[in-house]
Amino acid sequence: MAAEAVRVGVDVGGTFTDFSCVVSHGRLFAFKLPSTPEDPSQAVLHGVDMLVREYGVTPAAINVFAHGTTVATNAVLERKGARLGLLTTAGFRDVLEIGRQMRRQMYSVRLDPETPVFLAPGRFRKGVRERIGPDGAVIEPLDEADAVAQVAALVEDGIGALAVCLLFSFANPAHERRIAALVAERWPTLPVSLSSMVDPAFREYERTVVTAFDAYIKPAVDAYLARLADGLIQVGVTAPLQIMQSRGGLAGAVTARQRPVRLFLSGPAGGVIGAQNEGRAVGFDDLITVDIGGTSCDIALVSGAKPLIRQEGQIDGYTLRVPMVDVNAIGAGGGSIAWIDAAGGLRVGPHSAGSVPGPACYGRGGGEATVTDASVVLGLIDPGYFVGGKVALDPGRAQAAIRDRVAAPLSMSVEAAAFGIHRVLNAQMAEGIRLVSIKQGFDPRDFALLGLGGAGPLHVCALAEELGMTRCLVPRHPGVLSASGLLAAPVEHEVAAAFSRPLDGLELSAVREALTALDAEAAALMAVEQVDPAAVVIGYAADACYVGQGYTIEVPLDLTQPDPLARLYQDFLALHDRIYGHAVDGPIRLVNLRAVHRAGGGGATGKAEIATGSPVKGTRSVLVAGDGTRVMATVYDRARMPTGLRFEGPAIVEQSDTTTWVAPGWTARTLDTGALLLERPVLMEVTP
Amino acid sequence: MIRDRANTLDPITVEVVRNKLDGIANEMQSTLFRSSFSPIVKEGLDASASLFTIEGETLAQAIAIPIHLATLIPVVRTFLREFPPATMAEGDVYVMNDPYLGGTHLPDIALVMPVFHDGAPIALTAAMTHHQDVGGMAPGSVPTNATEIYQEGIRIPPLKFHDRGMPNDTLMKLLRLNVRVPDSFIGDLNAQVAACSAGARRLRELATKHGSTALRAIFANLLDRSEEMTRQAIAMIPDGTYRYHDFLDNDGIDLDTPIRIEVAVTVDGEAVRVDFAGTSGQVRGPFNCVPSGAHAAVYFAVHALTDPDIPTNGGCFRPISVTTPEGSLVNPVEPAPVNARTATIKRIAGCVIGALRAAIPGRAPADAAGEMLLLAFGGPRPDGSRYVVGELIASGSGASDGKDGVDVIETDGTNCMNLPIEALEMDAPIRVLRTELRAGSGGAGQWRGGLGLSREYQVLHGDVVLTHRGERHVHPARGVLGGGPGALAVSRIHRMGGAVEEIKSKTVTRLGPGDRLEIHTAGGGGYGDPATRDPEQVERDQADRKIGTSAAAE
Repeated sequence: MAAEAVRVGVDVGGTFTDFSCVVSHGRLFAFKLPSTPEDPSQAVLHGVDMLVREYGVTPAAINVFAHGTTVATNAVLERKGARLGLLTTAGFRDVLEIGRQMRRQMYSVRLDPETPVFLAPGRFRKGVRERIGPDGAVIEPLDEADAVAQVAALVEDGIGALAVCLLFSFANPAHERRIAALVAERWPTLPVSLSSMVDPAFREYERTVVTAFDAYIKPAVDAYLARLADGLIQVGVTAPLQIMQSRGGLAGAVTARQRPVRLFLSGPAGGVIGAQNEGRAVGFDDLITVDIGGTSCDIALVSGAKPLIRQEGQIDGYTLRVPMVDVNAIGAGGGSIAWIDAAGGLRVGPHSAGSVPGPACYGRGGGEATVTDASVVLGLIDPGYFVGGKVALDPGRAQAAIRDRVAAPLSMSVEAAAFGIHRVLNAQMAEGIRLVSIKQGFDPRDFALLGLGGAGPLHVCALAEELGMTRCLVPRHPGVLSASGLLAAPVEHEVAAAFSRPLDGLELSAVREALTALDAEAAALMAVEQVDPAAVVIGYAADACYVGQGYTIEVPLDLTQPDPLARLYQDFLALHDRIYGHAVDGPIRLVNLRAVHRAGGGGATGKAEIATGSPVKGTRSVLVAGDGTRVMATVYDRARMPTGLRFEGPAIVEQSDTTTWVAPGWTARTLDTGALLLERPVLMEVTP
Repeated sequence: MIRDRANTLDPITVEVVRNKLDGIANEMQSTLFRSSFSPIVKEGLDASASLFTIEGETLAQAIAIPIHLATLIPVVRTFLREFPPATMAEGDVYVMNDPYLGGTHLPDIALVMPVFHDGAPIALTAAMTHHQDVGGMAPGSVPTNATEIYQEGIRIPPLKFHDRGMPNDTLMKLLRLNVRVPDSFIGDLNAQVAACSAGARRLRELATKHGSTALRAIFANLLDRSEEMTRQAIAMIPDGTYRYHDFLDNDGIDLDTPIRIEVAVTVDGEAVRVDFAGTSGQVRGPFNCVPSGAHAAVYFAVHALTDPDIPTNGGCFRPISVTTPEGSLVNPVEPAPVNARTATIKRIAGCVIGALRAAIPGRAPADAAGEMLLLAFGGPRPDGSRYVVGELIASGSGASDGKDGVDVIETDGTNCMNLPIEALEMDAPIRVLRTELRAGSGGAGQWRGGLGLSREYQVLHGDVVLTHRGERHVHPARGVLGGGPGALAVSRIHRMGGAVEEIKSKTVTRLGPGDRLEIHTAGGGGYGDPATRDPEQVERDQADRKIGTSAAAE
């Protein structure tokens, strides 16, 4: 085994650190270790140790080491970033705090601030005398002495990082760069983020926020990745450490440390790439993924074998303009609490029992009736085989909670109440999935549903029926999909710049010139990665909108076309029609240009070994209607299911990290990749 | 507790249907937002979608700004009178916008579609959009100097937009000729049809699954439930009659006459009555507000102060009654102009919150400035082309028990984004010289009021027409329990020659190259005695420049 190359994907989550390893001959093994939140690199190194001791991997044989991390997100959630100084154009130091003036809670009269003021309260924000105009012309030269004095005052106040965001720096970065040089001369160890490098696009508040977050998390991310890289070298791993970025591409740790703001969705991006790869391997290019955990349900779309990317996302409730996979969270999960409202009606969520105290059946002191308690009562979850038997569930407590909190107040049986809780939750989640699809201009019926997380595969049949979908897919290891996605991701560098020009009369040469500059930047980033330059694929895109509109659409820009700009216009109209339902033949404007350099990706997923023995574990009675109707479901052991095994619902497929419910009317089949495909006839009536 | 008919229904099916109704309303609104042309919809979120029972009660509503809350109720009532269910046909779509027949202001056009199942109408879907232009004396159809509704645009009585699926060509031709941008106007109306159709399709699916009789029983139950929950929440508020009054600066025509808004909110067991007696008579300028706007403001305030988690439907409105004296600001007699009603609705919401504060002091904040400063600049660019840019600038919110007010934030009825400085400067030869929090503008208190904004513009080129529509230049946002008032709004023009002109809240004037406009929006009221403020917070305020005086404002 020592001679074989090994690719390792490691995704660090809040509770578990997941490993997915593929050996060159195609064998896959995956495992989970408890995370070590005080220093997440410890769990990663423990895992490497396990690879060596239990799986016989030689560290030197590891040729890919890809990593998804929550360190950037945690630095924000726990407010453990740097004490930040923010330097702006004089007169505009409050842009960060003023924001866009909208409130999120429409009916709240006792408001909270909507902007991330915590990054740099007023005393840590300074203005510097300078001014650049909208065309990039210098209106007032940079007052260098003033700049140095302002930074000196901030350093005096103890800042650990500096963000610089001057007006119109995207049109002319000279003043920001000069400030960086002045700072480097005097305070060489002070981390600095320039808005003209982090996010060179117009709208000063959005640019300031991204730049400030970048600087805020830079020391924490830098320290963590340096520690991990050192640790890996010490245990003999020579492969370069690669980090998953929010838009689904890997970057070398050296680059990732310089652009930490691109790491907020590092983990979820791995999951979406993993889903895309699972789908592609079985010929499904259009997928909706539904990852149901304890407190939330994450929904993402893959269309045409590409994950949907959006140009801005959310971190801790703040909108952040940085490209990321389009993952939408709704507040519904296994821990969602069922309750009776003041008028005696049944409600499910949005409050959750979380993992502490958790559902009543966990026996950790939770008395609320949750969705997981309902799953136990219905017979969908085996209380003796939850998380592979590691957590013993108490069915008595599940029964009691549902009886006391729901069934008795509603004067119904415990079974009817449990079934009702599932029906309400499924209706909520189906509406959420429908809305996410419709907002992108997609009809969910054209997609397959991919069930992820501990509870996703339990609900996919019901959700698919609600949404008129006919195919569901459950990966072999849905619990470590983020880790396996790391192994399927390309190395990718994206560089964008403002390019505000009407398309009418635009010379292609001007576009080419701007793209050449972006290419040079992206190529420089790529050169640091250890990839074959010949393998690099370059793609371009433009953010475009109708003249007068404020919202843009990302449109691919294909320079190999005979008339690339005419083609871009046609593609803009088609995309506008898909997303907004109409497209008029009016003048459009480019806003930003983007170059994406990409290499590799889509590697073989590997295959887990199939354990010997009968795949059938037994049978279990499952409640399938509110009137108490039960069916006898065959219970399968996922680890023992051979390729090509075919069976009808009702059936339950158990594995350590999830349980799949194959509802009556559905047919299940194990595919070559190990994934489980669930199908139902296209014209089947929706079950009541 | 719940009425008898509830007991015959399966509570789980009721809750499943409720989730679906919310989902349907959201799907309609998403369709509406996606397919509309108007920037006011795309960026100001000024559109909403609703489902109604065939009796005309709201079943579910997807709204992005509270000013739309319940505003379609009088519209639907008018339609039901004009086109009773017995005369409705599948494929009908009804249209109207007239404020004096139940609408809001003329740019808001409502479309309503009956939903049929088994040959009978079982519900209505509705969509309302603020259209970019509906004709009248000024582009955009919100002329600040209108003195009668005829100047504000075309008035549409309840008519058939589609008749049994056939578009009403006569009406289309008439409308096209009366608006400035007919293509996008019709496009936005078609987006409304698309939203209503999407809702109707899914409601029919629900009726097929549950049967229309059962479905209508579920509708009734959902309304009863929200009514019950609202009544219980109101019952927790101490009984009594609570009064409050506040002022709008002027009506834009008579600049020295403040407009009084007075409310008496009576909490009587499980019911709330709001009486506007004492409110100013209707005004010459366009700040009049037909009763639907007053209702929206009252429902917003009661909903926000009771339990915002109660599912919003017509049941929430049943325990609330509103009396608007005829001929007053809140129930004007035609042809009074009404286009600038937004400022009025915001102030009414503030008054209802102010009145209820006496009953539930912990839950209601001090007065928000509630100033939504509207600025519009129009002029030539150096290349000869012309621009018009509009800005909406927020003010400070009121402090509340345990929380300082928020600086420069949208409150109550509206929720719009501001315009980035870089977007303004790229579009128009205007330079923003500074944009800062307005130090010292928040009302003092144990909890400090939110700050307003200070900004200075300079005209770089050409002859510019400036529209300035402010509030809180005369009467401040008041503090409570010893808290101080927020600072008044101040706006000035600095002419090139050195002359300084103070703006009396509202004006339409001209600016030349080099002229500067300086604006300072108002602060929110403070909460509690300032002497009891935590000294550490005072220190922090000092360090963060939240208190003290800003250089130029006063």
